Amino acid sequence: MNANAEEMELRERLDLMQRMIAEGRRSTQHWAWSFLLWGLAYYVAIAWSVFGKTWAAWPVTMIAASILTSVLAARIKRREPGRTIGRALGAVWSVMGTVLFITLMALGISGRAEIHVVIAIVGAMLAVANGISGLILRWKMQLGCAVVWLATAVAACFASDMPLAILSLAAIFFCQIVFGVYGMILESRGQKRGVIHA
Amino acid sequence: MPELPDLNPVIHGKLRLALLSLLAGVEEAEFIWLRAKTGSTDGNLGAQLMKLEEAGYVAVEKKFVQRKPQSNYRITDAGRDALQEYIQALKELLGAAI
Repeated sequence: MNANAEEMELRERLDLMQRMIAEGRRSTQHWAWSFLLWGLAYYVAIAWSVFGKTWAAWPVTMIAASILTSVLAARIKRREPGRTIGRALGAVWSVMGTVLFITLMALGISGRAEIHVVIAIVGAMLAVANGISGLILRWKMQLGCAVVWLATAVAACFASDMPLAILSLAAIFFCQIVFGVYGMILESRGQKRGVIHA
Repeated sequence: MPELPDLNPVIHGKLRLALLSLLAGVEEAEFIWLRAKTGSTDGNLGAQLMKLEEAGYVAVEKKFVQRKPQSNYRITDAGRDALQEYIQALKELLGAAI
């Protein structure tokens, strides 16, 4: 083998290592579906509570979405390898979801679930979770979602009902639906891989 | 002229290098995940993982999940050190080639 071919071979090895290490670390894109699922769940709950006028709309939809998320997540976990970063992010989101659910349930039961307060709490919590994930993953788009949720939370403290409703629906659309679909597209693109032989 | 380092032959094989690199980025990984990421056949993958295991670079844990056998692999400290040394040697060789 001449020197040039040998160098090419070594560079190929280096490239292979970089690709594989990056592949092993690729994580959050596999959770993009959950953003989409929860975005749709929010829309269902909003529509049901507005048109159905029942107190059960939010708790029933949220519990159903939680069960669906757990089932799908368990199936994914069986296929995907364990990563410290994945566990850390999973902890952030599951703790955030649990705290949010209990707090909103308490507000609902106490009869103090005023719409501005609810949106401020939800917006702030989603801003925290998206912000932490975005910073850990160095993902600007997710940091952008955190900013949108924070803006929604702040707006909830000042805006009147109609502008706040529009802003909340837009935040769900961009930070859950669009972001989720974008993540899923990234995920599907990442699955085109070459074959490695010994 | 300074002596150039030798590359570890256990790691130098393409599939074994790919496997160690993949395992370096995760806590542990299932056999089928490694197969999907490398595009390798069951037989070849099993043989290369066995070589890495014999060298002490990977550890395997076999268990049953919902009555199905599952093999989980993780890189050992020795494997991580060996990969680090391999990268260093590769850089030195490439540095010498430029």
